[in-house]
Amino acid sequence: MPQFDPIEERAIEMLDDHQLEALRAKTVAADDERFECVLWNLCLRGVAVIERVCRARGEACGLSDQEIELAIEDAAARMLLRLSRVEPQPHVHALAAEIAAACVERPWPMQRGAPRLAPDAPQLRLVSGLDEAIESGKVRPNDWENS
Amino acid sequence: MSAAEEAVEQVFWQALNDLKEGSERPIEDYLRLVPRRQREELGVMLADVLLARGPAPAPGGAESEGYRRAVAVVDEVLGKRGEAGILPGALRAMRNARGIEPDGVVARLAADFGVEGEDGRRALARNYHRLETGRLLGSKLSRRLLGSLAAVFEVDPAEVLAAARPAARPPSLEGMPAMGRGGGVRGPGPSHPTASELPDPEVELVERLFYGGPGA
Repeated sequence: MPQFDPIEERAIEMLDDHQLEALRAKTVAADDERFECVLWNLCLRGVAVIERVCRARGEACGLSDQEIELAIEDAAARMLLRLSRVEPQPHVHALAAEIAAACVERPWPMQRGAPRLAPDAPQLRLVSGLDEAIESGKVRPNDWENS
Repeated sequence: MSAAEEAVEQVFWQALNDLKEGSERPIEDYLRLVPRRQREELGVMLADVLLARGPAPAPGGAESEGYRRAVAVVDEVLGKRGEAGILPGALRAMRNARGIEPDGVVARLAADFGVEGEDGRRALARNYHRLETGRLLGSKLSRRLLGSLAAVFEVDPAEVLAAARPAARPPSLEGMPAMGRGGGVRGPGPSHPTASELPDPEVELVERLFYGGPGA
């Protein structure tokens, strides 16, 4: 990582989220070397949200701890990709939450199948007179050989 | 000790106890409990305590293993930023996080570009490895290749394109071949075929994808 003037680095750290995003958009478009420092600071503000969203959603989806941590890593990398774009981006917390949710909700190889509803119970009803009809030969009991 | 001084001391200890129990209230609430003339004194005392205590922990268990791993990913990806921007580190991080082997990526690229021969696949594997290790120029990667990588990793192609933008002051590269075969320091061996060995159209296609520029 290039070395920056510590005073300038500190000034970047002290910017609020909106100011930092504005500086990101400006430095990425201008190919300014401060972009890396800005990106680092924005990502630090996003990873806490990524961690929280991945943990909460991952647990709700039945992911294991290891899978949740992999989703967190995936989301961190994807946030970097997204913040490389020249176009203005949403607030970093909103962006991080959106990416984290997408990373959790992608298909997981070891994920247990979604719960399924049990088939409907058969609805049985008594038919009056059936016993007599069977005895008289009018109807025959169901048989795999003749049905 | 005057009544005012006694009030300052009492409120100060109450604030300390609240801090210890994690149930502290806004500083203004404590200041209101002492006479106006004593507020500055109490404010200084509380400021000293808060300064010694350091910053409050980030919300949401920010020091968890997941948080540390996410920061490590950001650090590693940015640390590898170079002539292909953050793309090499990001590809590697996403691949590892999703449990995709490099062979899996190469197989998808081979299918996308109709590379079926052994030489073509080897060229794909070699160049993909070079891309992930930051040894290629982002400006020479074709849009077709970046689009295919975006599909493999299920991300927006525009993001992959943006991520491949070179760093403003990248580390120097050694022996970067122009179009994969012209300039730079060339070593012997099968990884650097001579012009006479290039007729394989699949190898040539792969070279164009990785070294031919955006329109290739």
